[in-house]
Amino acid sequence: MVRNFELTSNLLKDVLVIKTEGYINNAGGEKILQEFENHFENGVTKVLIDIENSRVVNSIGISFLIEIIEKLNSKGGKLFFQNLDPSIEKTFTIMGLFQFAEKISTVDEIK
Amino acid sequence: MDQHIKLEIKLPKVTDIELVALDGLVLMGRHLGITDDKIGEARILVTEGIINALEHSGSEIPYVNVDFTMTKEKLVILITDFGKGFEPDEIKEPKIIDKFGTENKRGWGLKLMKSMSDGFKIESSKNGTKITLTKILS
Repeated sequence: MVRNFELTSNLLKDVLVIKTEGYINNAGGEKILQEFENHFENGVTKVLIDIENSRVVNSIGISFLIEIIEKLNSKGGKLFFQNLDPSIEKTFTIMGLFQFAEKISTVDEIK
Repeated sequence: MDQHIKLEIKLPKVTDIELVALDGLVLMGRHLGITDDKIGEARILVTEGIINALEHSGSEIPYVNVDFTMTKEKLVILITDFGKGFEPDEIKEPKIIDKFGTENKRGWGLKLMKSMSDGFKIESSKNGTKITLTKILS
């Protein structure tokens, strides 16, 4: 059974790094959004979400990521993803997330 | 004839109940020697199908039936709800750009199921909706 959702976050220079664990469902997506908003209010506009430990997602959880993209767009910021499972990457592609967000391998790729 | 196995589940409308079906799917795959990687996109199909059925059926019968038939080559998923049905052709395909500036950022389930499956069939009436999804595993 998939574990309950948890996240950790830290600031690496000007990049907010959020690492998730467990199912990104409605509740998980909402927690990611809340964590983002706590930092967005303080001016953070670059966000990296590492979902290596989230192997199950649903479109309701992902809809919260669209809200993050929208808010970042409004401030000239950007959302990045790291450690995407191939099926999750395809899901994001179908939903159009990579029109506005970017897949990267390491946080050093963020300028 | 290829070995095939079946799983039939009746799922109540309980938070995250789709995970029960996903566990069954993975166990069936392992039994047939199918790696978790090959199950990957099927996981998305099952998740979206069940969520869609439980959330949008408008049913007073808060259950969905989920049937899996799996061989080494193919998975067939049948998801049945007992809601009021809908007209699939009237569902507008979502686009991320259209979601900006609106409260409702949901509504991706059908698009994901159509795009990620190798076969998609929907039968809907006032007595409920059946979605049949096929996924090639080999």
